[in-house]
Amino acid sequence: MSLVETLPASQRDILLKVDNISLSFGGVKAITNISFDIRVGEIRAIIGPNGAGKTSMLNVINGFYHPQEGTITFEGVPRPRMRPHHAATHGVARTFQNIALFRGMSTLDNIMTGRGTLMKRNLLWQALWTGPAEREEIEHREAVEKIIDFLEIQHIRKTPVGRLPYGLQKRVELGRALAAEPRLLLLDEPMAGMNREEKEDMSRFILDVNSQFGTTIALIEHDMGVVMDLSDRVVVLDYGKKIGDGTPDEVRANQDVIDAYLGVPHE
Amino acid sequence: MSPDFLYFIETVLNGLMSGVMYSLVALGFVLIFKASGIFNFAQGVMALFAALTLVGLLTGQVPFAHLIHAIFGVEAQHWGAGMPALLAVIGTMVVMIALAFLIERIVLKHLVNQEPIILFMATIGLAYFLEGLGDLMWGSDVKALDIGVPSGGSFWWEDVTREWAAEGSDYFGMYIDKLDVTAAIVAAVLVVALSVFSQYTRMGRALRAVADDHQAALSVGISLRTIWVIVWSIAGFVALVAGIMWGSKSGVQFSLSLIALKALPVLILGGFTSIPGAIVGGLIIGVGEKLAELYIGPLVGGAIENWFAYVVALVFLLYRPQGLFGDKIIERI
Amino acid sequence: MLYREAGDFKTSYRADQQTFPIRSERILFWAFIVAAFAVVPFFINDYWEKSVLIPFLVWSMAALGLNILVGYCGQVSLGTGGFMAVGAYAAYKLMTAFPEMNILLVIVLSGGVTAVVGMAFGLPSLRIKGFYLAVATLAAQFFLVWVFNKFPWFYNYSASGQITAPERLLFGVPVTGPNSPPWATYLVALTVVFVFAWIGKNLTRGRIGRQWMAIRDMDIAAEIIGVEPLRAKISAFAVSSFYIGIAGAMYFTIWFGAVEPTEAFGINQSFRALFMVIIGGLGSILGSFLGAGFLVLLPVLLKNLMVGQLGWATDIASHFEIMIVGALIIFFLIVEPHGLAQLWRLTKEKLRLWPFPH
Ligand SMILES: Nc1ncnc2c1ncn2[C@@H]1O[C@H](COP(=O)(O)OP(=O)(O)O)[C@@H](O)[C@H]1O
Ligand SMILES: [Mg+2]
Repeated sequence: MSLVETLPASQRDILLKVDNISLSFGGVKAITNISFDIRVGEIRAIIGPNGAGKTSMLNVINGFYHPQEGTITFEGVPRPRMRPHHAATHGVARTFQNIALFRGMSTLDNIMTGRGTLMKRNLLWQALWTGPAEREEIEHREAVEKIIDFLEIQHIRKTPVGRLPYGLQKRVELGRALAAEPRLLLLDEPMAGMNREEKEDMSRFILDVNSQFGTTIALIEHDMGVVMDLSDRVVVLDYGKKIGDGTPDEVRANQDVIDAYLGVPHE
Repeated sequence: MSPDFLYFIETVLNGLMSGVMYSLVALGFVLIFKASGIFNFAQGVMALFAALTLVGLLTGQVPFAHLIHAIFGVEAQHWGAGMPALLAVIGTMVVMIALAFLIERIVLKHLVNQEPIILFMATIGLAYFLEGLGDLMWGSDVKALDIGVPSGGSFWWEDVTREWAAEGSDYFGMYIDKLDVTAAIVAAVLVVALSVFSQYTRMGRALRAVADDHQAALSVGISLRTIWVIVWSIAGFVALVAGIMWGSKSGVQFSLSLIALKALPVLILGGFTSIPGAIVGGLIIGVGEKLAELYIGPLVGGAIENWFAYVVALVFLLYRPQGLFGDKIIERI
Repeated sequence: MLYREAGDFKTSYRADQQTFPIRSERILFWAFIVAAFAVVPFFINDYWEKSVLIPFLVWSMAALGLNILVGYCGQVSLGTGGFMAVGAYAAYKLMTAFPEMNILLVIVLSGGVTAVVGMAFGLPSLRIKGFYLAVATLAAQFFLVWVFNKFPWFYNYSASGQITAPERLLFGVPVTGPNSPPWATYLVALTVVFVFAWIGKNLTRGRIGRQWMAIRDMDIAAEIIGVEPLRAKISAFAVSSFYIGIAGAMYFTIWFGAVEPTEAFGINQSFRALFMVIIGGLGSILGSFLGAGFLVLLPVLLKNLMVGQLGWATDIASHFEIMIVGALIIFFLIVEPHGLAQLWRLTKEKLRLWPFPH
């Protein structure tokens, strides 16, 4: 449970609100008329069977997909259609279901790239290096080293990420997202394919990010145990539709959700 | 009909003919790309190499004559009067198959799971190697190639078209090269043959399966490596045909390998995986080039044939990055 | 005591970010630079200048530029020859229109002109990827060469269609034209290349370099974490063409002195630069130099060996040359896709551990 508990989740401000979102690819309807919100400081889980439209939902939130219908309101402001890098500069960071690290670069460079949106020196300063550009680099390096310490990956700082084992790659990807100091962090199956121990580590990191930095998190996860432990509220998707929304306990008691997970055939 | 209109028709016809030549080279690209996902930049040089070998066999040249002379001081340019055309063509085909085998053995085998762009660059290296090898084996002078393909203007067609012009206008009839017509027919036959091959033979079906899915191909019971050798051999055959046509037309020389560069915009229009696409793309580029030279050329000083095709391809790509016949690219993450 | 890290601990991030983190390597590098600037000029002669050192420096510059685009930003270009032509013709027009202009300024401004042209031809990269883009850059290659052939304004209506570099002095010494002493042209080229190699290093080790590499490694993810593709790609095209333009300007002004576009800047030059980058090492500053050195020296060596020693005809030597180059490209792609620079790194690592391999 998140530690930002000055107020109960239900009374905190709304950070992100999606209204009546529909998205289709040609004939395939990936998302049908979905609405939900994410409150400041909470961990919001998005669950559902494969192909339910969870990843597509995250892609809509950070501007990679453009829904045919619906609106997105971020920090109280209705958000126009935007490109992904705009979403990033507005405080939305992301990890990916299939690892999308920059394979040719070291751990350090991957995470430093995540800070790109916060660095200001232009090409000419960079060309000169000595002076402002170098100072800026060092400043941000310090911030990145804190993240490296936080994620306990000091020993692989200079290793090309392509050579790292899967679990560590997932961790570096989290680091890259954190480096942007996001206000909303989208995690797409951060624990998929991990063993028990790795999952526990990752859960701890997610909780710590939420409590220490106060970052709001949207989390897609299949392991129900993890979801129940981590999240404040859960939204459940199935075949592109929302079939449940509420606290973990409420969702667990919801008949539609139980049916969806038990594979009751649709009429 | 007015002479202007007849000129227009003549230009279009000539464009179609040279378009067929581009299509012939593009066809080789498509075959290899479909079966192995490799963008074979060396296709043009393969055509050159095939043509050089063919001339060498026809005229009875000793391979590496210059080199042998340089090393051993033995002066041996020719070993006889040469071979009959049919035998020489068969001989060249054997060389091309051997080449396909070696390419698979020495190059492709080691690059199986590499990214497409790495394979692309490897074929650029291959192009250079073959170019050097061809020159070293057969010498780099321009050679005439004559295996009896009819050539020269068609008087019959000239007479026919002269009749079409309006009474009293001084129009002398259309020029069409018999060689171009032959090339068009050969290309058409080749396309039909390849389609039949890929539809109705076991091997052809296996090749198509590979294009879709490597696992599926394995289940057909033919190893991937064999398939690659076969595909490259077929591409070698297409290269030989293209080499004969181009060589008969303008002599066997280095510039022949540059038609590979012309085939690239053709592929962009037609898509990398579509045989009809290669044909249509070639025709569009051929006609477009000739018409542009006729109507736009004089405005800007001519010789725009050098770049027109690429600019068309570029502009076209901006609208349809996937080509004329390709599926829309949807990116996912 | 080469390559010993012992006692070489980093105490600050600045020290950790140095170009040469190991002290002995730093010393070696500077010794090399001092020799290049202060020793070589005393021994250089015409042959070394025109056949080895200037070609090496000019091609290093072009390879640096292309490596920024291909090796760092992952955008394959076959337009290098065309962009070098832009640099050369810009230099010619600047020299003849402003006879008083300092030659170094001419060279740098020519790079600037090429950067603008490069940005224009880079725009398609926003929609076109991979070898589709490579083909699109061919449009630049052929179009540009055609332009310089077709419009006499570019060659000041000279009868031959050639451009010829007028004599220009630097500190009273001619550095272009037939009267320029080898040491002077060499020092100009060396200075330019040295400065821009350093700038290239700076650009690639900071934010912009990381953004280029992010686009190269995974463009979609890069955009989602905040790299703007437009800026990253166009800046790579700009910087790359800037370098290549400078290479073209030097190629014309201090190397050949007179050029004609079709031969000097044809598609073969584009491939040549690409090969240098592959052989040297994609995404490596050092690799650009190694690749350029390799491909400049190889023909010289082959020629000395086959023509000079064995007495063969020159065309046999040149056929061997293209064969060997082609074979090497394949060899490197198979065995060491990271090129000579990686071989050097591995050797260093071995040296560092020597004589205790573990
Ligand atoms: N780029 C795309 N093109 C076509 N269909 C897509 C694309 N992205 C997602 N889909 C489809 O949308 C549906 C939802 O997919 P996704 O959001 O990845 O599901 P989940 O993450 O819940 O497993 C699936 O049917 C998928 O095939
Ligand atoms: Mg998913």
